Amino acid sequence: MQIQLKWPEKLRGIRQVARDFMYGMLGMEFANHAMEMRASLESLFMLATVGEMIGVPVLPPYYSLRLLPYLVPQIKTWKRRVLREREFTDEPDYHLEGL
Amino acid sequence: MNTLWIVVIGAVVIYLAYNFYARRVDRMVIQTNSKRATPAKMYMDGVDFMPANRNVLFGYHFKSIAAAGPIVGVITAANLWGWLPALLWLVVGVSLMGWASDYSAIMVSVRNDGNSLGAISHRLIAPRTRVILFTFIFFYLLLVAGAFMGIMAALMDARPDVPFGILVLALMGLLAGQMLYRWKLDLILVTVVVVGVTLAAMILGPLGATTKLDAAGKPVGTNWVGPINSATVAFDHAVNQITGGKPVMSVVDPTNSDPRLSNPSLYNKATGQIFTLPSYLLWALFLLVFAYLASTLPIWRFAQPVNYIGFWITLLTIGFSAIGAVLAPFLKPAVGAFALPAFCSPANVAANVCQAADGGFQPLANGAFQPLWPMLFVTIACGAISGWHALFGSVGTARQLEYETDALPVGGGAMFAENTLALLSLVAVSIAGVGGGAARFAAGVGSLLSVVFGSGFVPYGTALGFGAFMVIVLTVTQLVFRVMRVTLSEWGGEAAPLLRNMHVSTLISMILTMALVLTGTWVYLWQLFGASNQLMAALSLLIVTVWLKSLHRNPSYALWPALFMYVTTLAATLVTAYNLYATIAIKPGMGALPVGGAWAMILISALLFVAALFIGWDSLQAYRRYAHEASTPATQVQPGD
Repeated sequence: MQIQLKWPEKLRGIRQVARDFMYGMLGMEFANHAMEMRASLESLFMLATVGEMIGVPVLPPYYSLRLLPYLVPQIKTWKRRVLREREFTDEPDYHLEGL
Repeated sequence: MNTLWIVVIGAVVIYLAYNFYARRVDRMVIQTNSKRATPAKMYMDGVDFMPANRNVLFGYHFKSIAAAGPIVGVITAANLWGWLPALLWLVVGVSLMGWASDYSAIMVSVRNDGNSLGAISHRLIAPRTRVILFTFIFFYLLLVAGAFMGIMAALMDARPDVPFGILVLALMGLLAGQMLYRWKLDLILVTVVVVGVTLAAMILGPLGATTKLDAAGKPVGTNWVGPINSATVAFDHAVNQITGGKPVMSVVDPTNSDPRLSNPSLYNKATGQIFTLPSYLLWALFLLVFAYLASTLPIWRFAQPVNYIGFWITLLTIGFSAIGAVLAPFLKPAVGAFALPAFCSPANVAANVCQAADGGFQPLANGAFQPLWPMLFVTIACGAISGWHALFGSVGTARQLEYETDALPVGGGAMFAENTLALLSLVAVSIAGVGGGAARFAAGVGSLLSVVFGSGFVPYGTALGFGAFMVIVLTVTQLVFRVMRVTLSEWGGEAAPLLRNMHVSTLISMILTMALVLTGTWVYLWQLFGASNQLMAALSLLIVTVWLKSLHRNPSYALWPALFMYVTTLAATLVTAYNLYATIAIKPGMGALPVGGAWAMILISALLFVAALFIGWDSLQAYRRYAHEASTPATQVQPGD
């Protein structure tokens, strides 16, 4: 069943599409970059605290265990991110735009 | 022919190709399924893998692919053969190949856990394919940096209204980085300040300049007597006094496309010599410093904000030009009419309107060949089809796709949108009567903007056209050096640890590029770059073909474009090598530098040719392997499951 949209709703939809497009074109790279900066810091923190999970023991286990409850939700994502095989074309910093 | 017709043709072709071909392939061959989890959902980490709304992603992908490529290629091609071949290749290329390349690269990555094309080629075709891909990338970057640096330095030397805007762009780039990331100011406020100031600096470049007239009252040049442009002239003059006003060296451009040809003090028409003055070297040095900052500073500090400002300048210039193109036939029919011939004739060549008569199948006056096939298909890469899109679409956009069904509107749709940018460039260059490629584009932009802002805006619109052209090229070049230095580090870092130092690898990249700039001819560099780019497109389509074959799907939509681009680019590489040999390497009277540069480029052509043969052979073997396999590979997921 097709739902008939009224004009104000249609206009709102068009305006939203235009806003999304403009955000993707002009703002998304800054948001992405900010997320990357934060993720780099978080990766470093995770490495320092629970690095032994990927074979890099750094902090004495006593402190790691005290921090563990706060880190548990992020461990899976962190391990996937740092252990994934990468090449330089994966890095947004080296994406060549405009060709 | 007028501007409105191009708009209409573009709109109709895009509508038909998208709805009746692309959608069919999406539905019947790839069989996208909105219910299947994409890598963005499966591996969401909030950074690399992050689902995004398709409208947002469309804007992001469009911004990533559209800038210098679709503009420079079209300008060069229209200048060589006339506007009709360029128009035909743009609409046919994007309809049958361009969207397929971009869309398929995204989909092949989505179906392979978000892996890059390099990693997929390593697994599907052969391990060495990945190495060859990186070889391509390095030479691709070297060639594009050489082509762009050459034309930019020449433009800044020949046009006193251009350098001020570029200087302000550099300053505003630094300021924008500081405002956004350190002072944490609102993006809209930052945009208004930095884009506004840069735009004003570009428009005000020609302020106060007057037209120089001959005895008959015909315009023959410009008197640079305004506050900004006269300062640039005085600065150039002071720099040139280092050698007493004498050239450091002279080169000959067999393609007649060097921007300095328009400046009588830099070009001897009788001998064909183009003089390289100290001011040219200084502007080249300025551009190298600009690129050095972009290459070595953190990306947020300089390269990203400059790119952002550049994109706004391009968007505004092209956007208002598009409005002018639509309105011109109604408001100013004279502006909207095409001055460039549809198909270059011998009479046009004699009048110096274009360069390759009757499709370029006969040798040009200088002995070069510029036959429509294969040269048109590498001269215009982006806008019709581009390998670079595929390479980076597979690691950027593919990892943010929320639903598989978004791949076509995002990947294919952005490619069609980029095609409209190329068509607008064609409009701009076609309505301007005389001048080299960049000058013709700028004059066209000036005319189109005058439709919107009034006749008095022509000189400022033209300056903005030059500024936009420079910005478009410069924003790409700065990133090229960034990617080049990391490629060098990856390649040679093991053997020579010094290359891991970013300053060393950047400087080596710049020295190699300058060697090409000082000895090479930018159109040949551009065509060789186009060939390497299109070979990457052929490679990406070959990977898609092999992937589809491994799934026992019909790969025709990717196979035939791949074969066409493969054969075409191999032929284009040979033609360019011949042109370099015939018009520079063995030509009597050429200096040692251009001859050395020509041989270096011939060597690069040979390397690209051999690398392409390896890729072709490996792909053929992989295709045969999968064609003869009766069972479905266990590691692959069938489309439509």
